[in-house]
Amino acid sequence: MSLPLAGHAAEGTRIQVTGEIIDTWCYYSGVMGSPDAVVGSAHHTCALWCSAGGIPVGLLAEDGTVYMVLKVGEDDQTAGGDTTLKLAAHTVEADGMLYERDGLNYLVVSDVVSDLDITNQNHDDYGNVPPFSIPDPNK
Amino acid sequence: MKKLIALLAMMASPLAAQDFSEGSEARSWNLYAEVPAKFEATVVDLLCTFTGDCPADCGAGKRQLGLLRTADDTLILPMKNSQPAFTGAAVELQPFCNQTITVDGLMIDDPELGANNVYLVQTIVPPGGGDKIKANKWTKNWAAEHPEAKGKGPWFRRDPRIKSIIAEEGYLGLGVELDEAWIADNF
Repeated sequence: MSLPLAGHAAEGTRIQVTGEIIDTWCYYSGVMGSPDAVVGSAHHTCALWCSAGGIPVGLLAEDGTVYMVLKVGEDDQTAGGDTTLKLAAHTVEADGMLYERDGLNYLVVSDVVSDLDITNQNHDDYGNVPPFSIPDPNK
Repeated sequence: MKKLIALLAMMASPLAAQDFSEGSEARSWNLYAEVPAKFEATVVDLLCTFTGDCPADCGAGKRQLGLLRTADDTLILPMKNSQPAFTGAAVELQPFCNQTITVDGLMIDDPELGANNVYLVQTIVPPGGGDKIKANKWTKNWAAEHPEAKGKGPWFRRDPRIKSIIAEEGYLGLGVELDEAWIADNF
């Protein structure tokens, strides 16, 4: 039987940050290639797969910091939920609370101030990553 | 003063020296930053931990969960289950919400990139011991939730939400027209 923990909050910091909603597993593990290749339009389809599959999504800020997204607005379903899925590979301006713990940054987004869609159009540099993310129309 | 420093060093050494790869039977994924790691931890709801919003079921597998390691109180982020299928770990861990389990898997350790305390779960030993459970239930759960998507090929080619977004935005996410032109030039 599982019981709810006592509901005490940690101390967070309110921040505003701009960055791309990324697939954190491919970004951190290197399983699909270099960090620059597993973001943007090149990796859009794989980012959809990972987000729908419940892998944590992150916000990759312009300075390279990754924020693990735990909630967006009222939607707490960041393990495969609709809100984060629709934002895959999009650049967003977010307002929220930052919690730092054991070397990771966790972000509770209270408001997506703006959704700039996909701004990192890197498919001509890296192709589609992984190559099987687009089915070969000739097969 | 020297005695105090020596005492502090002795107190700190058991944690500093702890090797979580000891006893691990994790299979390699040939990832450059992987480190086998087996440890006891309590499954926690991350939103609960940080904000105090704590549903009894830890979010029913839809919230991201954490592993609070018993040995050193470090909060680990489990990102992946054991399936090579773009699948996360929350569904595997949620049945053990707020319970203490033993996990075996791969830590990804690349501080330069910011990968600290992130983890791929391969097996789970339930509270109190017993047989290891493989952390590979995600695709079975997905199939049960999507009987309408039954068919050949991996789940991510059949998932209705993914198909809908690709139909609207294209594989590159920049629109179907750009997509078709790029595919024609590159395949």
